[in-house]
Amino acid sequence: MGEQLAKLWRKISWSWSPGSERESSEAIVRNLWLHWFPAKITRAAMSWNYSLWLGTAAASLFFILTVTGVMLMFFYVPSTERAYGSIKDLQYAVSFGRVLRNQHRWAAEGMVAVVFLHMARVFFTGAYRGTRAANWLVGVGLLLATLLLSFTGYLLPWDQLAFWAVTVGTNIAREAPVVGGTMRFLLLGGTQIDQQTLLRFYVLHVFFLPAVLWVMFAYHMWRVRKDGGLGAVEAIKADRRMAPKPMPATKSYSLFGLTPGTSVQVMSSTELEAEDQVVSSPNLTRRIVLVFLIVFNATLLASIFFNAPLEEAANPAVTPNPAKAPWYFVWLQELVASTTVHIGPLTISGGFLGGILLPGVLLVLLAVWPWLDRSPLSAEGRWFPSSRKTQNRVFVVAMIAIVLLIVVGVFLRGPNWRIYWPGMPRPQAPTVL
Amino acid sequence: MERPDQSYEGRDFGWLVAMSFIFLALVAFALWREFHPGWAPVQARFRAAMEKYGGTDRARAFTPGIKQIWVPKIHMVDRCITCHLGYEWGSILPATLPEPLTPHPNLPYMDKHPFQNFGCTTCHGGQGWATTASAAHGGKDWNDPMLSAGIARRYDLREADLIQMRCNFCHRHDVTTPGMDQINLAKKLYKENKCRLCHAVEGHGGTKAPELTYFGDKDPELVDFTHVTGAHTLFNWTYEHLMAPDKISPKTTMPTFGFKPEEARALTLMLLSWRREVYPPEYIPPPIEEAPPAAAPPH
Repeated sequence: MGEQLAKLWRKISWSWSPGSERESSEAIVRNLWLHWFPAKITRAAMSWNYSLWLGTAAASLFFILTVTGVMLMFFYVPSTERAYGSIKDLQYAVSFGRVLRNQHRWAAEGMVAVVFLHMARVFFTGAYRGTRAANWLVGVGLLLATLLLSFTGYLLPWDQLAFWAVTVGTNIAREAPVVGGTMRFLLLGGTQIDQQTLLRFYVLHVFFLPAVLWVMFAYHMWRVRKDGGLGAVEAIKADRRMAPKPMPATKSYSLFGLTPGTSVQVMSSTELEAEDQVVSSPNLTRRIVLVFLIVFNATLLASIFFNAPLEEAANPAVTPNPAKAPWYFVWLQELVASTTVHIGPLTISGGFLGGILLPGVLLVLLAVWPWLDRSPLSAEGRWFPSSRKTQNRVFVVAMIAIVLLIVVGVFLRGPNWRIYWPGMPRPQAPTVL
Repeated sequence: MERPDQSYEGRDFGWLVAMSFIFLALVAFALWREFHPGWAPVQARFRAAMEKYGGTDRARAFTPGIKQIWVPKIHMVDRCITCHLGYEWGSILPATLPEPLTPHPNLPYMDKHPFQNFGCTTCHGGQGWATTASAAHGGKDWNDPMLSAGIARRYDLREADLIQMRCNFCHRHDVTTPGMDQINLAKKLYKENKCRLCHAVEGHGGTKAPELTYFGDKDPELVDFTHVTGAHTLFNWTYEHLMAPDKISPKTTMPTFGFKPEEARALTLMLLSWRREVYPPEYIPPPIEEAPPAAAPPH
């Protein structure tokens, strides 16, 4: 009886436990879904503290978004007359529709944040040097694709929030010199937000941008492999290079073994040693499932208790006061508003300076930074090394500035774009009745 | 043979188990919530009431679930009846049954306005899509709040007076409409005081004053509330402007007509009813002719 129970428990609690390294490697390379992972992974890359697993979290969020998004496509109608109603149906009448839409929304907001944090991690650890520079550039592309995906999705509910956020966003884009007007015209499919805009945003959102993102993601992962793993690997290699290997007593390095002493030093190779690595199956695979589960639980928890925003139906004739861009663009709106100068009757729009020039410079700087970086290569793969002090400080200041602008824009700005501190009474928006 | 290093097994496996349990708990909770909607106890009460007043057979015929009146040609889905189940059972359920099960009163015009064609929100306002009471009744994130007795009291009106505003979406071109005393009064005042000498409405009238055809669609954000004493609503602005135009808009050329409060309220209701609501022709009532003149005018 006891024997049988033990057997049963072993069956229930079965887990993959390879008997040899060969078996473990084959579990990776022979599997369609796993073969893009390395057969072995460094302990440094497995560390929670190094990568914070933000890239895996971002990929998990994107996977959740793809699945929930495809499910939402069975209900959503991309028409100005029916889009809003189909979202209301999801909210109130479709089984699990509310949770489904909420999870898509919160995962989307989360992905913008996590992708940004992942970029910050890569910057702080200097993991974009040498051959990794190309992958940094792909990463910047992935960040842009994520922002565009989120922005195109923002319009789809066709409520006041969606309509006016996209109005603000595309009006900022119009300020771009020469191409601004044309760009806005192409994006909107006309001069104002209407059915054509909804259709274009929908196609971009459900097909074009996800396809681009998946391709870039695949390349991003392939590059990680080709660049030898995470930047943390470089820190280990650097350590190895510095430390001499203990001299084996039985070996002579002189021509005929005649020269006495240990004068010929052999430094360790730049390759990783066996003790630096563990097998990917099941160490990495289990970890990825764990990170995915954490992310999934977090989004599901948020979806059960917090509803995604859904305001009144879009009405081009009624502008909410204030109309705000999506939160990840609010810092640009804040810049546009604060760089707009009034001199008597003259108004100089901050649209170009705050909306185009500054973010443009930031983006270009971000993209080419690996080639401008003059810090020593040995700084790669560690958090906040002293040789990267200045640039890390500048990056932190820029990050804090952006976050502060977002906080001000999202939480403090009230009617007529005035600052309302917490506790200050805000004027009630007038209503019909 | 040496087994491969699985250093992360202990900690990660523990967390994996913990996360799996949380995942299971969350899915179970989501499932439980899905099958325990807020309207379920109301429907149980309805079934009990039907059993009490209408007999077992009628109670058995009732199937629980989301109920709706769907009228595609006026883009209307009214799920109000998911809770307000007694609405069409006035012949069986007592009128004293507490809300939300109270049957709809059998008003004289109900024959011409069957539920199947008009639903609930056409007259009462509110959010027909919603299946929670607060979302269905409330004005938050929904610009057409249910015209409740509470809102009516704010303007010294009855609920039925407010609802006339919505009746006038279709009855706008009636000279008089039976049962619409507020709007009928307003139409009379509108004619007597010759509003169209200055205001253009539907392509007729003067150009001295603002066009009023779709006054009810006016964005309350664009109205100057500086001199309005009441709450900042378009109703109050319109009412106070009718009572004392020069006080609310100091630069106006509109004369003070000396309306009584009830007259100004009636005019406000009519003005707010002038909205860009598009109903199919079969919803627009045929004109009610005024009593014909005693003798045909000579040629």
